[in-house]
Amino acid sequence: MTDAPVKLSVADLTKRFGSLEVLQNITTEIRNGEFISIVGPSGCGKTTFLRIIGGLEQASGGEAHLDGRRIEGPGADRGFVFQQDNLLPWRDILANTEIGPEINGALSPEQRRNTLRLLKLVGLEGFEHYYPRQLSGGMRQRVNLARALAVDPALLLMDEPFSALDAQTREIMQTELLRVWEEGRKTVLFVTHQIDEAVYLSYRIFVFARRPGRINEIIDVDLPRPRPLSIKRTPRFVEYVDHIWKLIEEDVRVSVLEEHAG
Amino acid sequence: MTQPDAFSVPGAASREKSFATSLCDFFYQRRWSWGSVFTGLAVWEFVSRVIVGSKLFLAAPTQVLVALFELTVSGELEKHILTSTLEFLVGYSVACVLGVGLGFIMASSKAGKQSLQPWVSGLYATPTVALAPLFILWFGIGILSKVVVVAVLVVFPVTINTETGLRTTPTQLVETVRAFGANARQIFFKVSLPSALPFIFAGLRLGIGRGLIGVVVAELFGARAGLGQMISQAAETFNMPNLFAGVTVLAVAGIAMTSGFTWLEQKLLPWRE
Repeated sequence: MTDAPVKLSVADLTKRFGSLEVLQNITTEIRNGEFISIVGPSGCGKTTFLRIIGGLEQASGGEAHLDGRRIEGPGADRGFVFQQDNLLPWRDILANTEIGPEINGALSPEQRRNTLRLLKLVGLEGFEHYYPRQLSGGMRQRVNLARALAVDPALLLMDEPFSALDAQTREIMQTELLRVWEEGRKTVLFVTHQIDEAVYLSYRIFVFARRPGRINEIIDVDLPRPRPLSIKRTPRFVEYVDHIWKLIEEDVRVSVLEEHAG
Repeated sequence: MTQPDAFSVPGAASREKSFATSLCDFFYQRRWSWGSVFTGLAVWEFVSRVIVGSKLFLAAPTQVLVALFELTVSGELEKHILTSTLEFLVGYSVACVLGVGLGFIMASSKAGKQSLQPWVSGLYATPTVALAPLFILWFGIGILSKVVVVAVLVVFPVTINTETGLRTTPTQLVETVRAFGANARQIFFKVSLPSALPFIFAGLRLGIGRGLIGVVVAELFGARAGLGQMISQAAETFNMPNLFAGVTVLAVAGIAMTSGFTWLEQKLLPWRE
C-alpha cells in the first residue's frame, strides 16, 4: 500500500466561515486504493473537508490535487455518496443511477451494461424500474452508492452514508460496502461518527480535532482482510476503538456541552 | 433480492378484471355518493313540482333534461358549446404559457421577482372578473374579449404555483446533481422543472374553475353566442329549464376537465404517492 502512487494530495487546506476557522492547515497524502476514514467530534470540520474535496465548497486557503490536477469544482472524477440518499423521486432506480453519466454526456449501451452490473453488485437486480419511494432506506442507500460508482470515479467520497439507517441495517451495509469495494478497490474517503465503523472499514483513520478543525492523529489499522463482522469483538479491534475514543473524548464532551448550552 | 410480493404495483390486479366488474365496483365503492346525488335530485324534483309548482321560478331535473334534449336537437346547444369551448381553450392556453413563463422569470431572477410580484399578488387578489364589462368595451362582443377575461383569470394561479414550485426545489437534490458536474441548464431541466411539475399542475387545475367562471361572466355582459349568453337569455325570458340546462353543461364540463386533469397528472407523474 505504501508504494502505491499518490491519489490525493492536500496541502495547507484552510477553511474559514467569517472569523471562525473550521479547518486549519490540513496537509496529507492519500494513496491509490486506500480506504480512509475520517472521524471526529461534531464541528471538527470533517464534512467540510469532504465537501471541499468534492468541489462543493471552496477552500479559503491551500489546495488539493487529485491525480495531479488541482480541484477547483465538482467533477465526474469524484463520486459523492451523500448522508441522505437524495434520489430524484421522479426517476426510477436505473435513471437515478445513471444521472452522473447522463450529466457528463456519457450515456451509451456500454454504460447501460455497467449500470446494470453495478445495481446487481449492490444487490438491486430486478429493481431497476422501481421508484425511490417504493424502496426501503437501506435499498435507497445502495442506489446512492451505485450512483456514485456509475461515473467510475477516481475517488469515492462518502459522507456518513449509513447514519440514517438502523443499527442492524448499518452493519449489513458495512459488510456490503467492503464487498463492493473489494471488487474495484477505489480510493475512498469515508466520513463517519461511528468509531467502530471507521476501524472496521479502513486502512487508515484520520482522527480530527476541533476548534480549529485539524488532523490530530493518523492511525494505521493493521487488521487482516477480508474482515468478517465478528472481527468487531476481537481484542485488537476493541483496542483500536478505545484508543480513538480516548483521542476525541474530551472534544466530544465539550461539543456536547456547547450543544446543550445552545 | 427479488420480492415481487412485497412491492405489488397498485392497479396491476384490477387491470385483469372485466370492464363490467369494474363498473359494478365503481358504483358499489361510491354507493353513498350515488345515493346522496339521487336523493338530492329527487328532493329537487319534489320541491319544484309540488311545492313551487311553477316553471317560471324553478325547473325540475326532468324538465332540465327535456330542455337539454330539445336544445341538442335544435342544434342550438352545440353552437353555444362550441363558442364557449373555443373561448375557454384559447384563453386558457395563452394563460398557461404566459403563467409558466412569468413564474419562471420570477423564480430565476431577483429583478424579475421584485418587479412582477406586486402586480401578480395585486391582480390575483382582485376580482378581475368585475372588469369583464371593460374588456367587452375594449375588445368587442366577439370571442376576443372572452379570451382576454379567461386569460387574466387563469394566468395568476399558474404564475404563482410555477414560481413556488421552482423556488421550493429541495436544495440537497440540486447539490447532488451539482456534485456530478451539472451546469445551470442541466440543474433546471433535470431537477427544478420536474420537481416543480406537481405545483404547476395544481395551478393549471385551479385555473380550470376560474377560466369557466371567466367565460360565463364575460358572456353575460355581452356576446353573440356561448353558454353564458344562452343562460342570460333564458333568465330574461324566465325560461328556467334552459337556464338550468346551461348551468348543467358547465358543471359537467368543470367536473370532466378537473377529473381529466387528475387522471393526466397520475399518468405524467406516476412517481408521486
